[in-house]
Amino acid sequence: MIRKEAIRLISKEIVGDVIVSANGYISRDLFEVNDKPTNFYMIGSMGLASSIGLGLALQNPKKMIYVFDGDGNILMNLGSLTTISKLKPKNFIHIIFDNSSHESTGGQPTSTNKISIDAIAKAVNFKVFRCNSKKNLDETFKKIKNISGPIIILMKISKSEKISKRVSLPPKKIKSRFMKSLQS
Amino acid sequence: MKKLTQRQIFDYLFNNGIENFVGVPDSTMKYFIDQGLKRKKILITTREEEAIGIASGFALSKSNSLVFMQNAGFANSISTITSLVQLYEIPLVFFIGWRGYLKKDAPEHMKIGKIQPNLLKILDLPSKIITDKNWKVSCNWALKKLANHESSALIIRRLFCD
Repeated sequence: MIRKEAIRLISKEIVGDVIVSANGYISRDLFEVNDKPTNFYMIGSMGLASSIGLGLALQNPKKMIYVFDGDGNILMNLGSLTTISKLKPKNFIHIIFDNSSHESTGGQPTSTNKISIDAIAKAVNFKVFRCNSKKNLDETFKKIKNISGPIIILMKISKSEKISKRVSLPPKKIKSRFMKSLQS
Repeated sequence: MKKLTQRQIFDYLFNNGIENFVGVPDSTMKYFIDQGLKRKKILITTREEEAIGIASGFALSKSNSLVFMQNAGFANSISTITSLVQLYEIPLVFFIGWRGYLKKDAPEHMKIGKIQPNLLKILDLPSKIITDKNWKVSCNWALKKLANHESSALIIRRLFCD
């Protein structure tokens, strides 16, 4: 499955809750398939989706916080997994779209075809699920409804050929409508 | 800076609306951090960028946050300041140690200490040096900036070389 399709399927399941999407093609895909004020699109600050998501999760315990991350992104901020694990936010669901590549910079390889992010996540006490199809994604979403976070879903995806358009909202607009959505 | 002043700064900021103190420790401000640890209000992260990310999540939830760090960590944070804090105009207070302020300091502190004031300037991050004498005025300045949804930096000089 390509990332855009995975993002379409997953974001459809998330209604009224928050999505923090990592910079690069993840934010672009989400913007194209399911734009809504509860999405916080990162367009810079590579690697920090999980940290922004942690701050949101701690301050908004009544909302579920979903982080849409990439393998390149999380490898830049693996330390954040230890901080998240130490604080154990129950409402934190971290989805890592893993294509073993830095796709938005030309498809250079990451190390995730040689190392196991799920083993790293398990070692720091995340509840970990691994998916690669619509079927096991559906099953996983059913399962996680009954368990508390922090959760990591490692979604294996293939590289895409088409590139989604850039997020056309100005950053201040992304922020203001997002902040407003948190109040409701 | 005196131990007592550092503790007073923490309490003053905490009592005046800063709800979260996130960062990576610096010996220059160890009593400030210690005061926060006593009050269970300190979150220590693995890197400074991570701290800024978490504090941004707090700030987006309208919870005032301070990020503390060494100046080595400030150098690490430059891209995060430009492409997150300034890009989205997320208001935070930075509390940054100034290692390499003294002419005689550890060799690894010298270069960054020398360029720190210029780095702050070219980043357009308004800053004030906080001292035993001006600490309350400096805190009020940063709090006022925050109330106006602006970021600022308080700089604490390292006046010892151990």
